[in-house]
Amino acid sequence: MLFFELFKMYDTLFFDDSIKESIMSLNEISAVFPEIFCVLAILFLVLHGVLLCSDASKNFPLIQNSILNLGILILIFTFILICNNSIFLKYSFFNNTIILDNLTISFKQCIVVASIICLLSIQEYLDDQKINSFEYIILILFAVFGLILLCCSNDLITAYLAIEVQSLSFYLLAAYKKNSIFSTESGLKYFILGAFSSSMFLLGSSLIYGAIGTTNFEDCKDLFFYVYPGNVLNENFDKFSQVLNLNLLQFGLVFLIISLFFKLALAPFHIWSPDIYEGSLSSSTIFFAIIPKLSLFSLLIRLFQCGFYGFIDNWRYCFVIIAVSSIIVGSFAGLEQRKIKSLLAYSSISHMGYSLLAFSTGTQEGIQALFSYLIIYIISGLCIWSIFLTLRLKNNYLHKGNKDLSDFVLLVKSNSVLAIFFSTVLLSLAGFPPLIGFYVKLNIFLSAIESTMYFAALVSIICSVISTFYYIRIIKVLYFEKGLIGNLYYPIKYKNTLVIGFCFFLFISLFLNPTFLYFYCNKICFILNV
Amino acid sequence: MNLDMILFFFFSSILLLSSLLIIVEINSIYSILLLVLSFVIATSLLFLLESEFMALIFIIIYVGAISVLFLFVIIMLNIKITSSIKDILKYFPIGNFLGLVFLIEILFIIFDNFKTNYYTDSFLFNFNINWLYKLDYITDLKALGQILYTHYVLQFLIAGAILLIAVIGAVILTLSPRKIYVKTQDTFRQVSR
Repeated sequence: MLFFELFKMYDTLFFDDSIKESIMSLNEISAVFPEIFCVLAILFLVLHGVLLCSDASKNFPLIQNSILNLGILILIFTFILICNNSIFLKYSFFNNTIILDNLTISFKQCIVVASIICLLSIQEYLDDQKINSFEYIILILFAVFGLILLCCSNDLITAYLAIEVQSLSFYLLAAYKKNSIFSTESGLKYFILGAFSSSMFLLGSSLIYGAIGTTNFEDCKDLFFYVYPGNVLNENFDKFSQVLNLNLLQFGLVFLIISLFFKLALAPFHIWSPDIYEGSLSSSTIFFAIIPKLSLFSLLIRLFQCGFYGFIDNWRYCFVIIAVSSIIVGSFAGLEQRKIKSLLAYSSISHMGYSLLAFSTGTQEGIQALFSYLIIYIISGLCIWSIFLTLRLKNNYLHKGNKDLSDFVLLVKSNSVLAIFFSTVLLSLAGFPPLIGFYVKLNIFLSAIESTMYFAALVSIICSVISTFYYIRIIKVLYFEKGLIGNLYYPIKYKNTLVIGFCFFLFISLFLNPTFLYFYCNKICFILNV
Repeated sequence: MNLDMILFFFFSSILLLSSLLIIVEINSIYSILLLVLSFVIATSLLFLLESEFMALIFIIIYVGAISVLFLFVIIMLNIKITSSIKDILKYFPIGNFLGLVFLIEILFIIFDNFKTNYYTDSFLFNFNINWLYKLDYITDLKALGQILYTHYVLQFLIAGAILLIAVIGAVILTLSPRKIYVKTQDTFRQVSR
């Protein structure tokens, strides 16, 4: 009898709540519908590819190109589904582990569109390098899945899993060309360093869980949003702060930040990036360089604008020092580079430094500047990398993947329009006035100055001037080099010209009317930390 | 100091020692065996914490699958034992300095945090113990399943996707249509070395 009583009590205690919560409504599934669709479609693509590739009666057809087109189709459908997720302010689903707000949806859209453009521009290169297996595209799609999942994760566990999906497929993309020593070497390097930083992330999140007993950002916000426990504003909180020791939490955050900065390739943790960009296939490098930055920054924003907003005061010095040092490293080390891929790697390090500078202000304007900077960074990155990939030199070494600066000598003679586009993008990256790159850089410096970071702003402005040198050097190589023999290039496909031309006109039209960009970014960071 | 604590310190000291030896040991067979030892010790630590399922999973997966796989890989490879004392001497001062600084920092924080129960002095300290919570109603496996398949179903599915990527990656990196780049086992060389 007693046992029965106990059982009943247990039933009411444990089961009722958990079952009620755990019954998923259709609404909850619709929150992650784009991701679910993406994964299911990838699974079908795997099946399709495996069955068709190993078909002896069809003579083992090469389905690389058709799978690439199907991948683009999948991403387009995912994009439509993401747009279909109508939201009002903010929702969180799946036991608060998935969040949907303007930030999530806009970042997902940007990532999917950017990866569609990347897929369009790598097709020729894949044919050229004789990468005939369809798994390459599937890995790219998996990486995109991980990235859009990372944007909407509101939980350390989900974020870790999403980072793992993304980075596992990136390791494989880096090591994909097995007969090239450079590619395998860079894949191994990327794997070891990436696994190291992922383990840092895990250690940090376990320490945070040990300190506050939750991994959810929503709960962290409830704990710390209104008052930072160090400076007590509320009397009730004073009693609370005796109980809660924050040193362990801060110590866990150190590990999280180190791991995320490792993935973003910021200055003290940047050494892997030029090496790996240089070694791996250019079609993989375009993905490493452009796409993951956006979602990693979204995770940083979720950590420090939503979850641990009170802590950003403690971390500001650290962020600013890292940002300024990566700007300095990116501008000075780029001066020495002769290979265009490692030059772009250093340039991306310095751009991440500018973004972190805007992030470290912690203000609404700073976040807005960060968003606009990231979006312009992605557009210019897409343009510059697709020019890099589509310019195929006619030379004797067919498999030469890397380009020196001298490969572009007197491009203006052989393809003047492309030379104009190339130099425009470079000037926009450097931040020259009649282009959108000027405005977004200006915004970052303004937001830094407004939050009284004068010295950091001054140093980064000077470094920006210095880094202009290597952009202008490329333009000099394109236009004014004294070469006796010019280079010949293969003709460019129609699709690629569309991509490059679209990006180019975006730079000029956004300069003439930047309100669209500003409005978009303002919409993203509207009610971010409520 | 009760039996629990004595066992805990015993096991954890062996764990620390064996995991140090894994790195220091030059012969890779020995370090794999030490790895197995450290997994077994970690399992017994988990048993002390009364999480039996995780302990058994540790034994089955880490010892039964991964370490044995490592052993097979080492048998296949032709590894020469080289002394790396020169490198150790070169990197010893700076590496150990950084490591020591970090270790001291960790120890400070740990002793600061787990010294006392903060709740005992505070008004939040709960004098009533709900004995109902203290009883084990369900087994480990059931409890994990209840959480995993309800609250964390999405994360479970993502973990499945990660495993799929790992499988695809293994296939890509090992299987190659052209036979030139494939490393195969040369039985004669392996036996005669």
